Amino acid sequence: MRNLLNFLARYNNLIIFLILEGIAFYLLTSGNKYHNSRMLNSVRGITHGIEEKINNTRSYLSLHEINEKLAAENVALKNSIGKLVKRDNPVFFSVEDSINKQQYQHTSAEAIQNSINRQKNFFTINKGESQGIKVDMAVLSANGVAGVIVGCTKNYSVAMSLLNLDFKLSARIKSNGYFGSLGWDGRDYRYAVLSEIPQHVLVNVGDTIETTGYSAIFPEGELVGTVSDYEKFGGDFYKITVLLMTDFKKLHFVDVIGNMKKTEQLELEKLYK
Amino acid sequence: MINSILRFGLIFILLILLQVLLFNNIQFSGYVNPYVYIMFILLLPVEIPSWLLLLLSFTTGLIIDIFSGSPGMHTSATVLAGFVRPYALRIVSPRDGYEPGSDPSMLIYGFRWFFSYALLIVVVHHTTLFYLEVFRFADFFRTIMRVLLSTLFSMTFILLIEFYRRGK
Repeated sequence: MRNLLNFLARYNNLIIFLILEGIAFYLLTSGNKYHNSRMLNSVRGITHGIEEKINNTRSYLSLHEINEKLAAENVALKNSIGKLVKRDNPVFFSVEDSINKQQYQHTSAEAIQNSINRQKNFFTINKGESQGIKVDMAVLSANGVAGVIVGCTKNYSVAMSLLNLDFKLSARIKSNGYFGSLGWDGRDYRYAVLSEIPQHVLVNVGDTIETTGYSAIFPEGELVGTVSDYEKFGGDFYKITVLLMTDFKKLHFVDVIGNMKKTEQLELEKLYK
Repeated sequence: MINSILRFGLIFILLILLQVLLFNNIQFSGYVNPYVYIMFILLLPVEIPSWLLLLLSFTTGLIIDIFSGSPGMHTSATVLAGFVRPYALRIVSPRDGYEPGSDPSMLIYGFRWFFSYALLIVVVHHTTLFYLEVFRFADFFRTIMRVLLSTLFSMTFILLIEFYRRGK
Protein backbone atom coordinates (compact mmCIF):
# COMPACT_ATOMS: atom_id res chain seq x y z
CA MET A 1 0.00 0.00 0.00
CA ARG A 2 2.73 2.38 0.98
CA ASN A 3 4.63 1.47 -2.14
CA LEU A 4 1.59 2.31 -4.19
CA LEU A 5 1.19 5.68 -2.47
CA ASN A 6 4.88 6.39 -2.94
CA PHE A 7 4.56 5.50 -6.57
CA LEU A 8 1.56 7.79 -7.01
CA ALA A 9 3.29 10.65 -5.21
CA ARG A 10 6.40 10.25 -7.26
CA TYR A 11 4.80 10.04 -10.65
CA ASN A 12 1.75 12.21 -10.08
CA ASN A 13 2.75 14.58 -12.89
CA LEU A 14 3.06 11.79 -15.35
CA ILE A 15 -0.26 10.32 -14.25
CA ILE A 16 -2.14 13.61 -14.52
CA PHE A 17 -0.46 14.20 -17.87
CA LEU A 18 -1.51 10.79 -19.16
CA ILE A 19 -5.09 11.20 -17.95
CA LEU A 20 -5.50 14.65 -19.54
CA GLU A 21 -3.80 13.54 -22.76
CA GLY A 22 -6.11 10.52 -22.77
CA ILE A 23 -9.17 12.76 -22.56
CA ALA A 24 -7.78 14.94 -25.35
CA PHE A 25 -7.18 11.93 -27.59
CA TYR A 26 -10.62 10.62 -26.88
CA LEU A 27 -12.04 13.97 -28.02
CA LEU A 28 -9.75 13.96 -31.03
CA THR A 29 -10.73 10.52 -32.29
CA SER A 30 -14.41 10.54 -31.44
CA GLY A 31 -15.19 14.17 -32.22
CA ASN A 32 -13.39 14.67 -35.48
CA LYS A 33 -15.10 12.15 -37.71
CA TYR A 34 -16.95 14.26 -40.15
CA HIS A 35 -19.99 12.02 -40.40
CA ASN A 36 -20.29 11.96 -36.63
CA SER A 37 -20.20 15.69 -36.26
CA ARG A 38 -22.96 15.96 -33.67
CA MET A 39 -20.55 16.81 -30.91
CA LEU A 40 -18.87 19.35 -33.13
CA ASN A 41 -22.24 20.92 -33.77
CA SER A 42 -23.39 21.12 -30.20
CA VAL A 43 -20.08 22.62 -29.18
CA ARG A 44 -20.26 25.11 -32.00
CA GLY A 45 -23.63 26.27 -30.76
CA ILE A 46 -21.84 28.10 -27.96
CA THR A 47 -19.53 30.06 -30.18
CA HIS A 48 -21.97 30.94 -32.92
CA GLY A 49 -22.95 34.24 -31.39
CA ILE A 50 -19.38 35.48 -31.54
CA GLU A 51 -18.72 34.04 -34.98
CA GLU A 52 -21.81 35.71 -36.31
CA LYS A 53 -20.62 39.08 -35.00
CA ILE A 54 -17.22 38.63 -36.66
CA ASN A 55 -18.95 37.63 -39.84
CA ASN A 56 -21.24 40.65 -39.78
CA THR A 57 -18.26 42.95 -39.60
CA ARG A 58 -16.56 41.12 -42.40
CA SER A 59 -19.56 41.13 -44.69
CA TYR A 60 -19.97 44.84 -44.08
CA LEU A 61 -16.45 45.40 -45.31
CA SER A 62 -17.07 43.51 -48.53
CA LEU A 63 -20.48 44.99 -49.32
CA HIS A 64 -19.28 46.70 -52.45
CA GLU A 65 -18.01 43.51 -54.01
CA ILE A 66 -21.15 41.59 -53.08
CA ASN A 67 -23.31 44.29 -54.64
CA GLU A 68 -21.45 44.00 -57.89
CA LYS A 69 -21.86 40.26 -57.92
CA LEU A 70 -25.58 40.49 -57.18
CA ALA A 71 -26.04 43.03 -59.95
CA ALA A 72 -24.30 40.71 -62.40
CA GLU A 73 -26.44 37.82 -61.27
CA ASN A 74 -29.58 39.94 -61.68
CA VAL A 75 -28.64 40.73 -65.23
CA ALA A 76 -28.13 37.08 -66.00
CA LEU A 77 -31.48 36.16 -64.46
CA LYS A 78 -33.28 38.91 -66.35
CA ASN A 79 -31.78 37.66 -69.55
CA SER A 80 -32.97 34.15 -68.94
CA ILE A 81 -36.47 35.43 -68.12
CA GLY A 82 -36.42 37.24 -71.42
CA LYS A 83 -35.63 34.01 -73.23
CA LEU A 84 -38.44 32.18 -71.46
CA VAL A 85 -41.07 34.83 -72.24
CA LYS A 86 -40.10 34.81 -75.89
CA ARG A 87 -40.66 31.08 -76.12
CA ASP A 88 -44.16 31.28 -74.70
CA ASN A 89 -46.75 30.68 -77.36
CA PRO A 90 -50.07 32.39 -76.58
CA VAL A 91 -52.18 29.67 -78.18
CA PHE A 92 -50.50 26.44 -77.22
CA PHE A 93 -48.76 26.08 -73.93
CA SER A 94 -47.78 23.14 -71.82
CA VAL A 95 -48.35 23.02 -68.09
CA GLU A 96 -45.14 22.34 -66.22
CA ASP A 97 -45.71 19.82 -63.47
CA SER A 98 -43.27 21.33 -61.03
CA ILE A 99 -43.84 18.83 -58.21
CA ASN A 100 -42.98 15.73 -60.17
CA LYS A 101 -40.27 17.17 -62.32
CA GLN A 102 -38.31 19.24 -59.91
CA GLN A 103 -35.29 17.25 -58.88
CA TYR A 104 -33.11 19.79 -57.13
CA GLN A 105 -34.18 22.12 -54.41
CA HIS A 106 -32.15 25.29 -53.90
CA THR A 107 -31.70 27.24 -50.68
CA SER A 108 -29.47 30.27 -50.41
CA ALA A 109 -27.38 30.75 -47.29
CA GLU A 110 -24.41 32.67 -45.93
CA ALA A 111 -21.18 31.12 -44.74
CA ILE A 112 -20.61 32.55 -41.29
CA GLN A 113 -17.44 30.72 -40.41
CA ASN A 114 -14.81 29.40 -42.75
CA SER A 115 -11.22 28.26 -42.74
CA ILE A 116 -8.74 27.46 -45.47
CA ASN A 117 -5.53 26.99 -43.56
CA ARG A 118 -6.11 23.58 -42.05
CA GLN A 119 -5.81 20.19 -43.67
CA LYS A 120 -9.42 19.38 -42.89
CA ASN A 121 -11.42 22.53 -43.44
CA PHE A 122 -15.07 23.00 -42.59
CA PHE A 123 -17.37 25.97 -42.87
CA THR A 124 -20.59 26.84 -41.10
CA ILE A 125 -23.67 28.25 -42.81
CA ASN A 126 -26.57 30.12 -41.23
CA LYS A 127 -29.38 27.79 -42.28
CA GLY A 128 -30.32 24.50 -40.66
CA GLU A 129 -32.95 21.82 -40.30
CA SER A 130 -35.78 24.29 -39.88
CA GLN A 131 -34.93 25.76 -43.30
CA GLY A 132 -34.91 22.31 -44.86
CA ILE A 133 -31.18 21.67 -44.89
CA LYS A 134 -30.19 18.04 -44.45
CA VAL A 135 -26.95 16.09 -44.21
CA ASP A 136 -25.36 15.19 -47.58
CA MET A 137 -26.73 18.17 -49.48
CA ALA A 138 -24.41 19.89 -51.93
CA VAL A 139 -23.07 23.40 -51.29
CA LEU A 140 -22.21 25.62 -54.25
CA SER A 141 -20.79 29.10 -54.35
CA ALA A 142 -21.74 31.52 -57.09
CA ASN A 143 -18.81 30.24 -59.15
CA GLY A 144 -18.70 26.51 -58.48
CA VAL A 145 -18.57 23.61 -56.09
CA ALA A 146 -17.85 24.47 -52.43
CA GLY A 147 -18.63 21.50 -50.19
CA VAL A 148 -21.07 19.02 -48.69
CA ILE A 149 -23.26 19.39 -45.59
CA VAL A 150 -22.09 17.03 -42.84
CA GLY A 151 -24.12 18.14 -39.85
CA CYS A 152 -27.15 20.25 -39.04
CA THR A 153 -28.67 21.80 -35.99
CA LYS A 154 -31.91 23.73 -35.96
CA ASN A 155 -30.56 26.93 -37.47
CA TYR A 156 -26.99 26.14 -38.53
CA SER A 157 -25.21 23.57 -40.61
CA VAL A 158 -21.59 22.57 -40.89
CA ALA A 159 -20.28 21.72 -44.32
CA MET A 160 -17.12 19.87 -45.22
CA SER A 161 -15.23 22.19 -47.52
CA LEU A 162 -13.73 21.01 -50.80
CA LEU A 163 -10.49 21.95 -49.04
CA ASN A 164 -10.61 18.86 -46.85
CA LEU A 165 -8.45 15.79 -47.26
CA ASP A 166 -11.56 13.62 -46.76
CA PHE A 167 -13.53 15.31 -49.55
CA LYS A 168 -13.89 13.30 -52.75
CA LEU A 169 -15.93 14.33 -55.74
CA SER A 170 -16.74 12.60 -58.98
CA ALA A 171 -15.77 15.05 -61.73
CA ARG A 172 -15.25 14.91 -65.48
CA ILE A 173 -13.59 16.82 -68.29
CA LYS A 174 -16.37 18.70 -70.02
CA SER A 175 -15.00 18.46 -73.55
CA ASN A 176 -14.71 14.67 -73.72
CA GLY A 177 -16.71 13.33 -70.77
CA TYR A 178 -13.99 11.21 -69.14
CA PHE A 179 -14.53 11.18 -65.40
CA GLY A 180 -12.23 10.75 -62.44
CA SER A 181 -12.01 11.49 -58.78
CA LEU A 182 -11.29 15.00 -57.54
CA GLY A 183 -9.82 15.77 -54.15
CA TRP A 184 -7.67 18.32 -52.38
CA ASP A 185 -4.02 17.54 -51.70
CA GLY A 186 -3.74 19.93 -48.78
CA ARG A 187 -1.32 22.32 -50.43
CA ASP A 188 -2.79 25.41 -52.01
CA TYR A 189 -6.36 26.56 -51.39
CA ARG A 190 -6.74 27.49 -55.06
CA TYR A 191 -5.90 24.09 -56.55
CA ALA A 192 -7.31 20.56 -56.33
CA VAL A 193 -6.18 17.34 -57.99
CA LEU A 194 -8.17 15.25 -60.47
CA SER A 195 -6.94 11.68 -60.72
CA GLU A 196 -7.95 8.45 -62.48
CA ILE A 197 -8.08 10.00 -65.97
CA PRO A 198 -6.46 7.46 -68.32
CA GLN A 199 -3.44 8.58 -70.34
CA HIS A 200 -4.94 8.03 -73.78
CA VAL A 201 -7.38 10.85 -73.11
CA LEU A 202 -6.56 14.21 -74.65
CA VAL A 203 -6.18 16.82 -71.92
CA ASN A 204 -5.50 20.50 -72.53
CA VAL A 205 -4.62 23.27 -70.17
CA GLY A 206 -7.76 25.38 -69.72
CA ASP A 207 -10.26 22.52 -70.13
CA THR A 208 -13.33 22.89 -67.95
CA ILE A 209 -13.91 20.37 -65.16
CA GLU A 210 -17.51 19.80 -64.05
CA THR A 211 -19.41 17.45 -61.74
CA THR A 212 -20.82 14.18 -63.03
CA GLY A 213 -23.91 13.74 -60.88
CA TYR A 214 -23.02 10.09 -60.25
CA SER A 215 -22.90 10.56 -56.50
CA ALA A 216 -26.50 11.78 -56.22
CA ILE A 217 -25.23 14.71 -54.16
CA PHE A 218 -24.12 17.24 -56.76
CA PRO A 219 -26.27 17.96 -59.80
CA GLU A 220 -24.73 17.15 -63.14
CA GLY A 221 -22.65 19.77 -64.93
CA GLU A 222 -21.82 22.12 -62.05
CA LEU A 223 -18.54 23.92 -62.60
CA VAL A 224 -15.55 22.85 -60.53
CA GLY A 225 -12.58 24.51 -62.19
CA THR A 226 -10.21 24.51 -65.12
CA VAL A 227 -7.14 22.39 -65.88
CA SER A 228 -4.05 24.35 -64.97
CA ASP A 229 -1.43 21.63 -65.28
CA TYR A 230 -1.18 17.88 -65.88
CA GLU A 231 1.48 15.23 -65.62
CA LYS A 232 1.72 11.47 -66.07
CA PHE A 233 1.30 9.69 -62.80
CA GLY A 234 2.22 6.03 -62.51
CA GLY A 235 1.72 3.87 -65.58
CA ASP A 236 -1.83 4.52 -66.58
CA PHE A 237 -3.23 7.75 -65.27
CA TYR A 238 -2.81 11.50 -65.38
CA LYS A 239 -2.53 13.64 -62.33
CA ILE A 240 -4.36 16.82 -63.28
CA THR A 241 -4.07 20.00 -61.25
CA VAL A 242 -7.35 21.89 -61.30
CA LEU A 243 -7.63 25.61 -60.67
CA LEU A 244 -10.82 25.89 -58.59
CA MET A 245 -13.56 28.30 -59.64
CA THR A 246 -14.61 28.96 -56.07
CA ASP A 247 -12.39 31.38 -54.20
CA PHE A 248 -12.52 29.87 -50.73
CA LYS A 249 -10.88 32.87 -49.21
CA LYS A 250 -13.92 34.93 -50.18
CA LEU A 251 -16.61 32.32 -49.65
CA HIS A 252 -19.71 34.09 -48.38
CA PHE A 253 -23.00 33.57 -50.22
CA VAL A 254 -23.65 29.92 -51.00
CA ASP A 255 -26.39 27.87 -52.54
CA VAL A 256 -27.41 24.61 -50.86
CA ILE A 257 -28.79 22.03 -53.25
CA GLY A 258 -30.79 19.03 -52.15
CA ASN A 259 -31.53 16.16 -54.52
CA MET A 260 -35.19 15.26 -53.96
CA LYS A 261 -34.86 11.97 -55.79
CA LYS A 262 -31.71 10.88 -53.99
CA THR A 263 -33.34 8.25 -51.80
CA GLU A 264 -34.99 6.71 -54.81
CA GLN A 265 -31.70 6.50 -56.71
CA LEU A 266 -29.72 5.14 -53.78
CA GLU A 267 -32.32 2.50 -52.94
CA LEU A 268 -32.36 1.28 -56.48
CA GLU A 269 -28.55 1.18 -56.61
CA LYS A 270 -28.41 -0.72 -53.33
CA LEU A 271 -30.37 -3.60 -54.90
CA TYR A 272 -27.57 -4.27 -57.40
CA LYS A 273 -24.55 -3.90 -55.19
CA MET B 1 -2.02 35.51 -4.39
CA ILE B 2 -5.40 36.99 -5.36
CA ASN B 3 -3.49 39.63 -7.26
CA SER B 4 -1.60 37.13 -9.38
CA ILE B 5 -4.76 35.09 -10.06
CA LEU B 6 -6.39 38.25 -11.38
CA ARG B 7 -3.33 39.13 -13.42
CA PHE B 8 -3.04 35.71 -15.06
CA GLY B 9 -6.80 35.59 -15.56
CA LEU B 10 -6.52 38.82 -17.51
CA ILE B 11 -3.55 37.56 -19.55
CA PHE B 12 -5.48 34.34 -20.23
CA ILE B 13 -8.59 36.16 -21.52
CA LEU B 14 -6.53 38.61 -23.58
CA LEU B 15 -4.49 35.86 -25.25
CA ILE B 16 -7.56 33.74 -26.02
CA LEU B 17 -9.35 36.76 -27.50
CA LEU B 18 -6.26 37.68 -29.55
CA GLN B 19 -6.01 34.12 -30.85
CA VAL B 20 -9.69 33.64 -31.67
CA LEU B 21 -10.53 37.06 -33.01
CA LEU B 22 -7.28 38.02 -34.68
CA PHE B 23 -4.74 35.25 -35.29
CA ASN B 24 -7.22 32.56 -36.33
CA ASN B 25 -8.30 34.96 -39.06
CA ILE B 26 -4.85 35.79 -40.35
CA GLN B 27 -4.08 33.31 -43.06
CA PHE B 28 -0.67 33.85 -44.58
CA SER B 29 -0.94 32.26 -48.02
CA GLY B 30 -3.47 29.80 -46.65
CA TYR B 31 -0.66 27.77 -45.21
CA VAL B 32 0.58 29.30 -42.02
CA ASN B 33 -1.28 30.09 -38.85
CA PRO B 34 0.39 31.64 -35.79
CA TYR B 35 -0.71 30.20 -32.46
CA VAL B 36 0.17 32.72 -29.78
CA TYR B 37 -2.18 31.43 -27.08
CA ILE B 38 0.61 29.03 -26.06
CA MET B 39 2.27 32.11 -24.57
CA PHE B 40 -0.03 31.70 -21.55
CA ILE B 41 1.76 28.47 -20.69
CA LEU B 42 5.10 30.25 -21.12
CA LEU B 43 4.23 33.09 -18.76
CA LEU B 44 2.97 31.15 -15.71
CA PRO B 45 5.22 31.49 -12.62
CA VAL B 46 8.33 29.32 -12.43
CA GLU B 47 7.27 27.61 -9.24
CA ILE B 48 3.71 26.74 -10.23
CA PRO B 49 2.79 23.18 -9.12
CA SER B 50 2.85 20.94 -12.14
CA TRP B 51 -0.65 19.53 -11.62
CA LEU B 52 -2.01 23.08 -11.84
CA LEU B 53 0.12 23.76 -14.90
CA LEU B 54 -1.26 20.66 -16.60
CA LEU B 55 -4.85 21.52 -15.71
CA LEU B 56 -4.41 25.08 -16.99
CA SER B 57 -2.88 23.78 -20.23
CA PHE B 58 -5.83 21.44 -20.64
CA THR B 59 -8.32 24.28 -20.11
CA THR B 60 -6.52 26.60 -22.51
CA GLY B 61 -6.38 23.97 -25.23
CA LEU B 62 -10.01 23.03 -24.72
CA ILE B 63 -11.22 26.62 -25.04
CA ILE B 64 -9.20 27.16 -28.21
CA ASP B 65 -10.57 23.87 -29.55
CA ILE B 66 -14.13 24.97 -28.88
CA PHE B 67 -13.57 28.18 -30.80
CA SER B 68 -11.84 26.59 -33.76
CA GLY B 69 -14.13 23.55 -33.95
CA SER B 70 -11.38 20.93 -33.70
CA PRO B 71 -12.07 18.83 -30.58
CA GLY B 72 -8.96 17.47 -28.91
CA MET B 73 -6.30 18.81 -31.29
CA HIS B 74 -5.17 21.91 -29.43
CA THR B 75 -5.90 20.22 -26.12
CA SER B 76 -3.44 17.39 -26.66
CA ALA B 77 -0.76 19.71 -28.05
CA THR B 78 -1.11 22.19 -25.18
CA VAL B 79 -1.15 19.50 -22.47
CA LEU B 80 2.07 18.11 -23.91
CA ALA B 81 3.56 21.61 -23.94
CA GLY B 82 2.56 22.00 -20.28
CA PHE B 83 4.15 18.67 -19.46
CA VAL B 84 7.38 19.61 -21.23
CA ARG B 85 7.64 23.09 -19.67
CA PRO B 86 9.40 22.08 -16.39
CA TYR B 87 12.03 20.16 -18.41
CA ALA B 88 12.45 23.10 -20.78
CA LEU B 89 12.96 25.39 -17.78
CA ARG B 90 15.60 23.01 -16.47
CA ILE B 91 17.41 22.81 -19.82
CA VAL B 92 17.70 26.55 -20.30
CA SER B 93 18.11 27.45 -16.61
CA PRO B 94 20.40 30.45 -16.01
CA ARG B 95 23.75 29.85 -14.29
CA ASP B 96 22.64 30.95 -10.83
CA GLY B 97 19.19 29.32 -11.00
CA TYR B 98 15.80 30.93 -10.90
CA GLU B 99 14.90 33.59 -8.36
CA PRO B 100 12.23 32.25 -5.99
CA GLY B 101 8.73 33.44 -6.82
CA SER B 102 9.67 34.96 -10.17
CA ASP B 103 7.91 34.84 -13.55
CA PRO B 104 9.75 33.49 -16.57
CA SER B 105 9.87 36.84 -18.34
CA MET B 106 12.30 38.56 -20.66
CA LEU B 107 12.59 41.42 -18.19
CA ILE B 108 14.24 39.25 -15.54
CA TYR B 109 16.23 36.68 -17.48
CA GLY B 110 17.02 38.48 -20.71
CA PHE B 111 16.23 38.10 -24.40
CA ARG B 112 18.42 35.10 -25.20
CA TRP B 113 17.09 33.09 -22.32
CA PHE B 114 13.46 33.87 -23.16
CA PHE B 115 14.00 33.16 -26.85
CA SER B 116 15.40 29.66 -26.34
CA TYR B 117 12.83 28.84 -23.66
CA ALA B 118 9.93 29.94 -25.85
CA LEU B 119 11.35 28.26 -28.94
CA LEU B 120 11.59 24.87 -27.19
CA ILE B 121 7.96 24.91 -26.09
CA VAL B 122 6.57 26.42 -29.29
CA VAL B 123 8.33 23.77 -31.39
CA VAL B 124 6.98 20.95 -29.21
CA HIS B 125 3.48 22.41 -29.36
CA HIS B 126 3.44 23.12 -33.10
CA THR B 127 4.94 19.78 -34.06
CA THR B 128 2.29 17.90 -32.08
CA LEU B 129 -0.47 20.14 -33.39
CA PHE B 130 0.34 19.88 -37.08
CA TYR B 131 1.00 16.15 -37.07
CA LEU B 132 -2.24 15.55 -35.18
CA GLU B 133 -4.02 17.70 -37.73
CA VAL B 134 -2.97 15.66 -40.75
CA PHE B 135 -2.92 12.42 -38.75
CA ARG B 136 -0.71 10.67 -41.27
CA PHE B 137 2.96 10.54 -42.12
CA ALA B 138 2.43 10.54 -45.86
CA ASP B 139 3.25 14.23 -46.27
CA PHE B 140 5.99 14.19 -43.66
CA PHE B 141 8.23 16.90 -45.12
CA ARG B 142 5.43 19.23 -46.07
CA THR B 143 4.15 19.08 -42.51
CA ILE B 144 7.64 19.87 -41.23
CA MET B 145 7.62 22.89 -43.51
CA ARG B 146 4.33 24.03 -42.04
CA VAL B 147 5.63 23.49 -38.50
CA LEU B 148 8.73 25.58 -39.22
CA LEU B 149 6.88 28.43 -40.92
CA SER B 150 4.21 28.61 -38.25
CA THR B 151 6.83 28.47 -35.51
CA LEU B 152 8.58 31.40 -37.14
CA PHE B 153 5.39 33.47 -37.14
CA SER B 154 4.27 32.44 -33.65
CA MET B 155 7.72 33.23 -32.23
CA THR B 156 7.71 36.63 -33.90
CA PHE B 157 4.37 37.54 -32.35
CA ILE B 158 5.26 36.08 -28.95
CA LEU B 159 8.50 38.08 -28.85
CA LEU B 160 6.67 41.22 -29.96
CA ILE B 161 4.10 40.82 -27.18
CA GLU B 162 6.86 40.13 -24.67
CA PHE B 163 8.76 43.24 -25.79
CA TYR B 164 5.58 45.24 -25.41
CA ARG B 165 5.10 43.89 -21.89
CA ARG B 166 8.66 44.83 -21.04
CA GLY B 167 8.16 48.30 -22.41
CA LYS B 168 5.29 48.98 -20.04
